[in-house]
Amino acid sequence: MSEVLEPKKASAAGTVASAEPVYALMDQRPADMSNAESPLSRFRWQVSSSGKNVGVVARELALLGHFILRGNVANADFVKGAAEVLGVELPGTLKSNAKGNLVVRWLAPDEWLITVPGEQAFAIESNLRKRLTGHYSLVNVSGGQTLLVLSGADAVNVLRKSCHYDVHDRNFPVGKVVGTTFAKAQCVIRRAGQQEWELVIRRSFADYLAAWIQDAAQEYGFAVK
Amino acid sequence: MSQTNRLSSGGLIDRRKPLSFQYNGKQYQGYEGDTLASALLANGVDIIGRSFKYSRPRGIVAAGAEEPNAVMQIGASEATQIPNVRATQQALYEGLVSSATNGWPNVDFDVMSYVGKIGGKMMPPGFYYKTFMWPQTMWPTYEKYIRKAAGLGRSSTMKDPDQYDTLNHHCDVMIVGAGPTGLAAARAAAATGARVIIADEQEMFGGSLLSSRELINGKPAIDWVRTVVDELSANPDVVMLPRSTVNGYHDHNFVTIHERRADHIGDRAPVGMTRQRMHRVRAHWVVLATGAQERPLVFAHNDVPGVMLASAVTTYIERFGVVPGNELVLMTSNDDAYLTALSWASTGRKVVAVVDSRAKADGDLVKQVIDKGIRVIFGSAVYDVDGGTRVKAARISGLTADGKKLTGKSETLSCDTIASSGGWSPVVHLSCHTGSRPVWDDNIIGFVPGETQQKQLIAGGIRGHYDLLDCLTEGMNCGYVAAERSGYGPVGKRPEYKVARIRRSPAMPLFLVPHLKPISQAPKQFVDLQNDVTSAGIELATREGFESIEHVKRYTAMGFGTDQGKLGNINGMAITAQVLGKSIAETGTTVFRPNYTPITFGAIAGRNCGELFDAKRYSAMQPWHEENGALFEDVGQWKRPWYFPKSGETMQQSLNREVLAVRNSVGILDASTLGKIDIQGKDAREFLARVYTNAWAKLGVGKCRYGLMCKEDGMVFDDGVTSCLAENHFLMTTTTGGAARVLEWLELYHQTEWPELEVYMTSVTDHWATMTISGPNSRKLLAQLTDDIDLDKDTFKFMDWRPGTVAGVPARVFRISFTGELSYEINVSANHGLQVWKKLMEVGKQYDITPYGTETMHVLRAEKGFIIVGQDTDSTLTPYDLGMGWAVAPTKPFSFIGKRGMAREDAVKPNRKQLVGLMAKKPDVVIPEGSQAVANPNQPIPMTMLGHITSSYYSATLGRSIAMGLIRGGLDRMGETVYYPQADGSVIEAEICSPVFYDPKGDRQNV
Repeated sequence: MSEVLEPKKASAAGTVASAEPVYALMDQRPADMSNAESPLSRFRWQVSSSGKNVGVVARELALLGHFILRGNVANADFVKGAAEVLGVELPGTLKSNAKGNLVVRWLAPDEWLITVPGEQAFAIESNLRKRLTGHYSLVNVSGGQTLLVLSGADAVNVLRKSCHYDVHDRNFPVGKVVGTTFAKAQCVIRRAGQQEWELVIRRSFADYLAAWIQDAAQEYGFAVK
Repeated sequence: MSQTNRLSSGGLIDRRKPLSFQYNGKQYQGYEGDTLASALLANGVDIIGRSFKYSRPRGIVAAGAEEPNAVMQIGASEATQIPNVRATQQALYEGLVSSATNGWPNVDFDVMSYVGKIGGKMMPPGFYYKTFMWPQTMWPTYEKYIRKAAGLGRSSTMKDPDQYDTLNHHCDVMIVGAGPTGLAAARAAAATGARVIIADEQEMFGGSLLSSRELINGKPAIDWVRTVVDELSANPDVVMLPRSTVNGYHDHNFVTIHERRADHIGDRAPVGMTRQRMHRVRAHWVVLATGAQERPLVFAHNDVPGVMLASAVTTYIERFGVVPGNELVLMTSNDDAYLTALSWASTGRKVVAVVDSRAKADGDLVKQVIDKGIRVIFGSAVYDVDGGTRVKAARISGLTADGKKLTGKSETLSCDTIASSGGWSPVVHLSCHTGSRPVWDDNIIGFVPGETQQKQLIAGGIRGHYDLLDCLTEGMNCGYVAAERSGYGPVGKRPEYKVARIRRSPAMPLFLVPHLKPISQAPKQFVDLQNDVTSAGIELATREGFESIEHVKRYTAMGFGTDQGKLGNINGMAITAQVLGKSIAETGTTVFRPNYTPITFGAIAGRNCGELFDAKRYSAMQPWHEENGALFEDVGQWKRPWYFPKSGETMQQSLNREVLAVRNSVGILDASTLGKIDIQGKDAREFLARVYTNAWAKLGVGKCRYGLMCKEDGMVFDDGVTSCLAENHFLMTTTTGGAARVLEWLELYHQTEWPELEVYMTSVTDHWATMTISGPNSRKLLAQLTDDIDLDKDTFKFMDWRPGTVAGVPARVFRISFTGELSYEINVSANHGLQVWKKLMEVGKQYDITPYGTETMHVLRAEKGFIIVGQDTDSTLTPYDLGMGWAVAPTKPFSFIGKRGMAREDAVKPNRKQLVGLMAKKPDVVIPEGSQAVANPNQPIPMTMLGHITSSYYSATLGRSIAMGLIRGGLDRMGETVYYPQADGSVIEAEICSPVFYDPKGDRQNV
């Protein structure tokens, strides 16, 4: 079990006397979330006029907890420990595993993205820190990205306008995860349902990507939930 | 003018739907289903342009992409102008406005015709190279008039009101061409369940079948086309793209298709529809079913309006119900052209004669023509044409069996139309795009695709196989093979095609019809109509020593421009071979490049224009910056506040105000864009020691340290502060522009050089919102917003960091400074960046807190002599050159990147350029950045340059200008004077000094 540096009120970092702190751990979410702003909370969406068919619907899943977990799958206890805490196995190549609102996406052979409801974020981070062994890293990136879900019959066409990856059913079944270029930025795409695509968007690119997506979706009829 | 050439029935046009259109300012009428070309021919319009070089009147020659003359300017308004549209490929729509691009000021009378008439002698081949090369400075002037006179069309001067976009595809089988071959292939591949895309440049699928009278399975061919199109439409895994030209075939079966979605509808695309779309297809297998284009014969005056391709004449009659003349002379070297005589005769107009270069022919079509009582003259050829703006007569003569000489007496046949056919040239263009060279095939008298590295199949006309049953069968087979190789099928039952075979007698290889005079003295025999290349021009090129076909092409301009040699190239190569006494196989061919036909810039740009041209990156505090009047600076893709002008302020006044606020009270900077990398693992510290030049072994938890990173050559490439968060946990910062580059660099070294080090890196640039409060009042301000961080100067020292809560939000606070003042860098999750920033502004009001931008930051750091990597450095400077040897620890136990490089002989030699401070002798003069230093401004030009100014500002703090710059051996030349000559002839005198202009001991940041 690795040791963690718990924030102690009014104590300087590194001066915790007890055990040697190995990783810094901090609950970065304030108790009062009323002033929090997700990356797309201020975006001015332009939706199609009412009455028109809606082929694409966008919905931000805002203010979730996002963590990047890196580790070695050859370390059986790391893999086991992650599964114990998360309740799902770490998914293999280009796959995702989900349990309720917790989703784990494969990003690279030693890298996963975990998203959880915001209020559970610190508990899960702490539990992983307590349980995981060996060489790994766990990084809170909740402020740096958001999830944008595109749904509807034409959501797939918005993707085809935006990225080179093959999004046909045969190549991109439900549950698959792919990191790819998207317009002139990047995103991680997970197929959450037959007509539901979940994009991981970096905060600084959020305005650009939202503008791109709504532009691409206009011809199909576009709405925002 | 009425549609004098329109038949009362027949064709695939809809006579119930008349469409009016404009050409060169006059109104005409056509029908739905027409192309602009067929409608012009229906109206008896003979001249549609002037030729490129000689300005000769030209008419419509072809019916498809190979049309060289009818290149139009389309558009009803300035904003909707499209140049270089082939009339043969433009569907007619109500209200279409067109004009000829060739011929200035108009097609009936133009300036160039005078040049052209003197022409041949004034503009021989190689004319441009010989005449316009010198003097080079005059070229822009020449070009302006040549372009205008030559008529290469013009683009709009206004913003295009339509939208264009891009769609990506993946498929198993990509079929190019939807004639009989392509349709049979698509049908077969689709039947296996494979994902199929079929594209065709024409308005509708069917290709040659659209103007054919043949029967498939006992029914008219067009019925079969409709059946197959319906069948494919019902299959969700088939994408059908009519009006879509496959313009590029690239490596790895990447295919680019240009779809004209709304060009057939109107001047502007309907609301909600993109005008054109680029399809980017990645295919497992590609089936080229591009067919063949008919080759005209080359004879004297073969460019007079009324000389057309035989198959084009058939198409206008059968598909569009238009007979482009009254009296036809048909000139052919093969059986296929006899179809044209049959079509023409069926309209009731006169076929004067069929002139066949072969001594005899007895194929089925020949017999049918003879049976109709049409005069057929074997062993003869049309060698010259009478007429200026329209054909008046054909001059024919006997021809030797080898086609090299005329024999016997000449005869003049009165006519207004001459249709010619020299056989078929397979459309090998796309197969060439991937680097494959076509090979000559004597059997089919044409080039066919050569070997390829692509997963490519070819079928039908592109192989020189023109029999309909062969096309259907080959297409079907290729469709199955491509699908099976992609992992589908096989299917049990294959469709059967029953088509009556037409027996054809052998064709004769004939390209240039000889004249009574030798080539050089004969009237112009045009090879490439668009570029005005004649057989005499080709002969001249070879005589001047240009014998390689590639040289002939460049010397004569054959196959240049939008034409890409569709009509003329094969004839040109054959003529080159003939004058060189070689075979065509020996002479070879030039290759064709993308794009097959011109593409609009709109389609290439797609949606990557206007606001979407490039990604713009914003920090979490962007809304506040915008509301408070910030001006922005581009730093990479980031938009960073540059400065925050108050009303009435000049830029310098804003900067002065912001600088003094930081020096005297407190300023606030959005530093969120700095690259931030979270580093974890037990070897993190060791890893840092190897990538930075300085030591990291002893950096304690809670401490921060500045570091320089070098490339292997020992030259600085990034810098920043890295903090020890916990024993195995660090936070690295990088420059804004270097963030991605540095992370890649670290991963590269970790993965390839030191995989044994247990360390993981993760970007947290976007996660942390970073705001720096800087100035003597920053501690007081922060104290009012935190109750759990001890800000005592002796416990929370300069270069320490502490976790805690700021404005109610968990934060990491770093006491680091880029201004030289007491500073705190507050980092919170970016979801809370804006709220904390606003709180700082609110509480900071009592200190007159002043937001400042990058420009002010630059001034503040320059006052302290802090470098900006990329501005003060340029990958040629070691840490020692920067006077930063203190940041190098050469005694570290393990080496570090750049250690060896910075010890090279050249990197330690004396008199290297070094970074120093520079003070203009006149304190109000700001030396322009980039100015070059010299020791003596009176030396002759070129002067010996000692270095340049890298950063230069007016410092409000010091009340004078300051600068940083490179000077050879500068660190040893303190106090010396150098001179900066300016472009206006003035000279700025400056003294070399330390780059630390303010608070050299650093007292202010340590308070």
